Amino acid sequence: MRSQGFNRNKSKTNNSRRRKRKENTREQSQCRFCRSKTKYVDYKDLDVLGKLLTHRGKIFSRKRSGNCASCQRKVRLAIKRARFMGLLPFTS
Amino acid sequence: METVAKRLYEALFLVDSAEAATDAEGVSAHIEKIFERNSAEVVSIRKWDERPLAYEIMGKSRGTYFLVYFNSPSGRITSIERDIQLSERIMRVLILRADHVTEEDMKKDTPATMLDKKAQELQDSKKAPDIDYTAEAENEDLDVD
Repeated sequence: MRSQGFNRNKSKTNNSRRRKRKENTREQSQCRFCRSKTKYVDYKDLDVLGKLLTHRGKIFSRKRSGNCASCQRKVRLAIKRARFMGLLPFTS
Repeated sequence: METVAKRLYEALFLVDSAEAATDAEGVSAHIEKIFERNSAEVVSIRKWDERPLAYEIMGKSRGTYFLVYFNSPSGRITSIERDIQLSERIMRVLILRADHVTEEDMKKDTPATMLDKKAQELQDSKKAPDIDYTAEAENEDLDVD
C-alpha cells in the first residue's frame, strides 16, 4: 500500500512539472525577420543565412526555421544568390 | 533630348585571391575601367573579403571579393555584364539593384576592414605597454637619486 501511495505522489509531481514547462514556453507569434523588422535579407550576411541551413547545405523548412512565408521567400533568394557567388555550398 | 535616369546598383566581383594579393590596386583599376567604358559612375569600390570558396570555381578554392556601388542607366547593365564575362581576371559577378541601400550602408564595415581594424588594435595593444615600462623606469631612477 505504501509503495502505491509513493508512486501516486511521484506521478503528480511529474505532471505538475510538465504543466509548468508548457505554461512558461510561448510560441513566437512572429518570425525572426518580422520581429527585427528587416525588409531585405542580404545575401552577404552569412551569419544569418548560415543558421538557416543544415550541415549538408540544405535550406531549413519553414516549420523548422519558424519563418513566415514572405520571409522564407526572401531567405531562399538570398541563399541562392550566396550559393552562386561561392559564399554558401549547394551541397557538402 | 531624352534624359535617361540612372539607378544605383551593387556589384560583387569574385577575383582569384593570388592575383588580388599581388596586385589589388590593379584589379580595382581594371574593374573601374570596365564601368568607365560603359559610362557608369562608380560611387565606391572596396575589398569585401578574402575567403575560401564553398566549392571550386574555375579550379580555384580561394577567392577575393570586391564590392562596388555604381550609378548607371538600366539599359547599360547587360553590356557591363558582357564586358565583365569577357574579362579573364574576373571569375564571377553578381549585379543587383540597390535602391534600398543608403550611404551609411555603403560605408559599413566589411569583413576585410574588420580584420584590418583588429590587427591594428592588436599592434596598438603591443605598443602601449612599452610606453608604461619606460615611465616606470624613469620613476625608479628618480627614487634612486
